[in-house]
Amino acid sequence: MQSLDTVSLVILLGAMLLLVGILSSLIAMRFGAPLLLVFLLLGMLAGEAGPGGIVFNDVQTAYLVGSISLALILFDGGFRTRLQTFRTVLGPSVLLATVGVVVTTALVAPVARFVLDLGWTEALLVGAVVGSTDAAAVFFLLHAHGLRLRPRVGATLEIESATNDPAAIFLTVLLVEILLLGNQSWDVIAVTIARQAILGGLIGYVAGKAIVLFLNRIGLQQGLHAPFVAVGALVVFGLAASLQASGFLAVYLAGLIVGNRPTRAHNSIGVFLDATTWLAQIVMFVLLGLLVWPERLVSSIGPALIVALALTLIARPVAVFLCLAPYRFSLRERIFVSWVGLRGAVGIFLASIPLLVGLPAAYLYFDVAFVVVLFSLLVQGWSIAVAARKLDIAFPRADPLPQRVELDLPGQMAQELVGYSVAANSPYLRRGLLPSWAKPSLVVRDERVFTPEEAESVRQGDYIYLLAPPEKAQALDRFFVDMPPPARPDPRLLGDFFVSGDVTLGALAEIYGLQVAPEHTEKPLADYFAEERRRPIKQDDTLLLGPIGLLAHRVEGGRVTTVGLRLAEPDDDVGAQSLIARLKRMARRALAALRG
Amino acid sequence: MPLTDLVARNAIIPALKANGKKQALHELATKAAELIGQPDRAIYEILLQRERLGSTAVGNGIAIPHGKLGKLDRLFGLFARLDRSIEFDALDGQPVDLIFLLLAPESAGADHLKALARVARLLRDADTAKKLRESRDADAIYAVLALPPASAA
Repeated sequence: MQSLDTVSLVILLGAMLLLVGILSSLIAMRFGAPLLLVFLLLGMLAGEAGPGGIVFNDVQTAYLVGSISLALILFDGGFRTRLQTFRTVLGPSVLLATVGVVVTTALVAPVARFVLDLGWTEALLVGAVVGSTDAAAVFFLLHAHGLRLRPRVGATLEIESATNDPAAIFLTVLLVEILLLGNQSWDVIAVTIARQAILGGLIGYVAGKAIVLFLNRIGLQQGLHAPFVAVGALVVFGLAASLQASGFLAVYLAGLIVGNRPTRAHNSIGVFLDATTWLAQIVMFVLLGLLVWPERLVSSIGPALIVALALTLIARPVAVFLCLAPYRFSLRERIFVSWVGLRGAVGIFLASIPLLVGLPAAYLYFDVAFVVVLFSLLVQGWSIAVAARKLDIAFPRADPLPQRVELDLPGQMAQELVGYSVAANSPYLRRGLLPSWAKPSLVVRDERVFTPEEAESVRQGDYIYLLAPPEKAQALDRFFVDMPPPARPDPRLLGDFFVSGDVTLGALAEIYGLQVAPEHTEKPLADYFAEERRRPIKQDDTLLLGPIGLLAHRVEGGRVTTVGLRLAEPDDDVGAQSLIARLKRMARRALAALRG
Repeated sequence: MPLTDLVARNAIIPALKANGKKQALHELATKAAELIGQPDRAIYEILLQRERLGSTAVGNGIAIPHGKLGKLDRLFGLFARLDRSIEFDALDGQPVDLIFLLLAPESAGADHLKALARVARLLRDADTAKKLRESRDADAIYAVLALPPASAA
């Protein structure tokens, strides 16, 4: 019974620790502080040097858990990366994610060698550990401040951060291997690198395709799609790593492929991976926190800060300016991209690899990475909004994006349900704007579900669910953004005349000389509105009938009762005349010049 | 563009007397018939036909009855300021005291619509309406209608 008690105790303590970790996210969210750091601190507090006093020095377990966690995190990272955004900024991001990481590593190394008194390989390892920007930190901090960056800048930063982990991981693993093997000849190293990259990429690509194929061909139980994908990711990782290929690269690529293909249960897979990633991050960082001895940090904080400063002020800017040189970015944009070189979880994880494999003086890497990440998140993280404003990078108005809910519709993949809360000043509510491919299907009001017909007109505070193709769901966001109302109503929307909604198209056509299809002559305007809009009409909806604009001036029960007629733009001909007049004047002047 | 290309000086009634919508329309039809040499009955019927779809009172005491008349050779406008405002089934419920009648030839098409829009937009301008109400005789009204929209606005 003794061992059983130990097991129960470990479960209790472990679960409690996780629970505290989950709850601590509440605090972190409030202050915009990086969650991973909070988890790490929690682990430290619970550890033997902290008040928790838990003795944990099972490096093997930590390495196993850490690897599984990172594999899942990387897969999730790939899964969430949209290849479409990739294409527009592929060049700059890929350069930053590869050459940029190498340049950063190379420039940090001499400083690290000097202040930490290391050999070249060890110094390069320090550089590699802090070489990549952190996707989670960049995404979170860019979005948490509601910054609307110029799409090019935002996408470059996000994609760089999402794609540079493999490069840094690669460098780190390589340098660790070199350090472990002692003196290897460079041709052996080169062959190792090439094999890892090529084989890893190949396995990832094939495995990604295979996961998609299995997912769509085999009718799994509804709840098993997501676990299938997650475990599949671990299989990819394990397979690649055991074949001496880069497991991290493979798993990232596989995630990229699965995430960008239409699959069954796409959204539930996303939700599951999201949850798994959270759990993986908490477990990983609490464990790492347990491994760290905080009091030793004090002795290395000075040199570590110098490394952090060199990274932020020299290595990162040089790498960014070098990599962005072939592309058209303004100086301000280059400075901003340099400044937003946020370091985060990956740096700390990479620093734990030497620790986990038992390199001499491995704690040094961890300490440096810890200080660098802390410095980066505190100084850069909290100044990001100011920097964007000072450098005039962000758009003047920062509209927080609306919360979008996406639901799979089993049985097909072409459509999904996309849900929004209807805001008072959303373009959808104000002007009835909606793309033609989105079909309102449900309205939830006061905890009751209606069809759009039953709900009549959608109001502020309703939740609306629309059928839309999954790849276009994101484009719906801007129709539901809560924007400040315009200064004054658009005069073009005012009707010149008004007629009853019961008036037929034919009657209107006769008086105003319009062309109407014979089958439409008996159709009342209200029906015409209903058929063209295919949803309850709201006040100020507009339609065209030949040259005449129809405006839903008064609406009762989703049906137009009074229609405003916008007959014509009286200024059209004036504009044309003045243009012709101007051309004539120019012609006359040209003639005079020729003669004179 | 001023409205005087649509309204001749003799097509202005500075103080029309009418007790209701139908009577006003009838008076206007008679006057128009006189000026363009067409039967008043036909004009009256055309105006009523349009009113049946919805009142041409556009609000703020202004009505713009209109229609197409086959045998007309150009756009024809007639302006009347009412002695006493009358009920016109306006959307905003206000009685009407300024009426602009516009008749268009069958072939007018887009010109008809543009002219109507121009009339509606000029009269919607509060300043123009105020000046028209303050004008006592045909000449004064003609002068206001002759103002380009920019200075009238």
